[in-house]
Amino acid sequence: MEQLIIVVAVLPLISALLIQLFARRIGRGIARVSVAATTLSFLLAALLLWWALTGHGPQAMPLGNTTIIMLFDPLSTLLATIILGISLIVHLYSVRYMAEEAAYGQFFVLLDLMTAALLVMVIAGDLISLVIAWHLVGVFLYFLLGQDTRSQTAYRFAFWTLITYRIGDLPLIVAAALLYNAYGTWSLTTIFSEIMANPNAHQVLGLPLTEVVAALIGIAAFARSAQFLLHTWLPYTMDGPTPVSALMHAGIVNAGGFLINRFAPVFVHSGDVLHGIFIVGLITAVFGSLLMLTQNDIKKALGYSTMGQMGFMIMECGIGAFSLAIYHMFAHGVFKGTMFLSAGSVINDARHDDGIPKDELYTFAVEKQPTKARQPWLLMAVITLAVPLVILVFAHLLIAEDYFQKQGAIILLFFGWVTGAQLIFATYRMRTQNIWRLVGLSVLSLVVVVLGYVVISHAFDLFLYPDPAFRTQLYTAATIDLLRFEVLVIITTLIIVSGWIVTYYTEQTGYRRQRTKRMWLNFYALISREFYISDIYTRLTRTLLAISGRLNVWLRWL
Amino acid sequence: MPDSLFILLVGIFMPLFPMSMVFNAILDGIKHAWLRSLLFIAWPLCGLFIALTSELIMPDWLMPLALFTSALYALRMLTLREVNQWSGFLATSLWSLLWLPMIQDTQAQLLYSYAISMSVPLVLLVLLSAGLEQRYGAAYTGLYGGLARTIPRFAGVLVIVVVAAIATPLFPTFFIMLNMVVKTISASPYAAMVLLLIWLLWSWAGARLIQGLIVGRASNEKIADLESTAIGFYSTVLLALAVGGIYLSGVIL
Repeated sequence: MEQLIIVVAVLPLISALLIQLFARRIGRGIARVSVAATTLSFLLAALLLWWALTGHGPQAMPLGNTTIIMLFDPLSTLLATIILGISLIVHLYSVRYMAEEAAYGQFFVLLDLMTAALLVMVIAGDLISLVIAWHLVGVFLYFLLGQDTRSQTAYRFAFWTLITYRIGDLPLIVAAALLYNAYGTWSLTTIFSEIMANPNAHQVLGLPLTEVVAALIGIAAFARSAQFLLHTWLPYTMDGPTPVSALMHAGIVNAGGFLINRFAPVFVHSGDVLHGIFIVGLITAVFGSLLMLTQNDIKKALGYSTMGQMGFMIMECGIGAFSLAIYHMFAHGVFKGTMFLSAGSVINDARHDDGIPKDELYTFAVEKQPTKARQPWLLMAVITLAVPLVILVFAHLLIAEDYFQKQGAIILLFFGWVTGAQLIFATYRMRTQNIWRLVGLSVLSLVVVVLGYVVISHAFDLFLYPDPAFRTQLYTAATIDLLRFEVLVIITTLIIVSGWIVTYYTEQTGYRRQRTKRMWLNFYALISREFYISDIYTRLTRTLLAISGRLNVWLRWL
Repeated sequence: MPDSLFILLVGIFMPLFPMSMVFNAILDGIKHAWLRSLLFIAWPLCGLFIALTSELIMPDWLMPLALFTSALYALRMLTLREVNQWSGFLATSLWSLLWLPMIQDTQAQLLYSYAISMSVPLVLLVLLSAGLEQRYGAAYTGLYGGLARTIPRFAGVLVIVVVAAIATPLFPTFFIMLNMVVKTISASPYAAMVLLLIWLLWSWAGARLIQGLIVGRASNEKIADLESTAIGFYSTVLLALAVGGIYLSGVIL
């Protein structure tokens, strides 16, 4: 039964081959071949997921006498099912959406190859297959994004993606080379078991090998998941076809979270690296969300929204909540895939009718009219701060009483609390006849989201990391000194609460100092230029090209 | 003759800067595609033959110079527009790296197979370049573009050939590069970093070449696409390369 996982990865490859060879004979029926192969592959993956859920595996399967190994384990079966689910939706959507494209067959070939590469990536049980699949995902994505070969812009930004992905390939190759030299095998299972048995057996440049490898894996994940400074490609790759954007934002960009999870046995011995990952994720989440809020292009805003979400996912890994990152990946994938696939219809409908109901949300967000008659300030403040906290604490107590012993859990609770409070705070500011109805609906939606998130993520935790000792080890690795942790929590709380108070004070008095106004204007200018990061990269690229050209002239093109 | 001087002479065939300029000057002078192809195959094999039969003692400066040569040509490839010249520079960048496995006492047979694996995609590129010259009068990237729309089959083959040449999986050069990184990283981590940088530059240059040729609107003129026999030839060679790459990976990794 476990062997079927190889068939799951091979089916899209067969489909790609069939379409390439018989495209002329099949004509427009090529889409049917591709959809049929993906459907079959998805059904098999779902069957394997059920098999894994019923307690079978994990199992490593070498392919003959080669170094290639395929893994049947909870992570590979779960991700294979998610990838194929999203890929199937994208396939179905593309059948009609891409119908008028000249390179219709080529598109499905690339889509199948991309699906196959992603599947090999998640089921790879050896470093060579993993490196190959990781590399090929970048190459296929480049050509998928450049599907419209008439568009210079599409290729320009596809190139940004390719080069960032290639930058991300390199640390993975170095990590693979270091691990192979240290353990004499490409097999991930063997390497991980040796690391678990003796984590400090090897050193590189005077540093523990596990720390170096974890840092390299982290950088590879950053490039793939558009973390801060390696993110510029993501919001700009919108000239590719919509199905490709959906696949990219719902699936491919999540690969960073997968990679960190795959190397969990390395990260469990690399606490310092986890802290670094947390900081990068946090910066990305904040910058991504900030930039999203200032975009007036729906697709670019979605791009920055993905960046923010990826930051949050990487941050979850940084606090040891590895399985939560996988759940986040799944939830975000479904959510963002839907948004991208429906973006075209929304734009089309909006051309005829903006469709915005003139309700309280409209008057608040568009007409900027805050309510005149407000409830008592103290009462609303208590509701704003206390209700989300109560919901979160109650939901987590349902899962485990010792939940609050983990720093990672506290950080997530903190984020949940801030988000929930912000939601109610915004609700309170809306102009409405019935404030209690709105607050009630917000609280209800918060309860549903938090309960769902907590229960499902706990289920993911039990499925992906069934060993409780390993789960504890992951959280412990991400733990920092208690005093430092508490100081950080207090400072962050003060910053956020001060922000709320300043907002409240400004709203109440309508007073805004001239100097502050100018500062905010400068800040807005900085955001609108996206912190000049793309400009810096462009300048660096031009300098390098100028050096290259100058060298060619000096050396007479020989 | 002292070994160092002899190595510099061998550096004409297994490129070491500045002797590497000799190959590119000769390539520039040859106009016939088949002669160019022959040169691409024979040149590194001559170098390897001379180096392997002369029992050289490799000096310490050899690896840095080989890496410098490779990196220099990889960097210079970024602004090249003529496809034959581009192929020549990539060949120089690739062949200069053959010194690394030689320093690491790799078997002669493997070294020859490395050289051939590196050269075959370049031979295909030279033949395609001749095809472009025949159709457009010049094989320049960024000059006419739009090949994907005008001659889609030609463009498809061109893309795969470039991808094979710049060490992409599953082609042999990918596994050769991976093997070089694995063997170099423990003894000389900085050399491994330079290797990776060179690899990155190849990808960059390859993408620029592809974009300059295939992207753009279709030509108004009717231009003949590749014939079925030519596609069969290129497909067979590329398939053989991919199979060879997988086989090579089993041997060297």
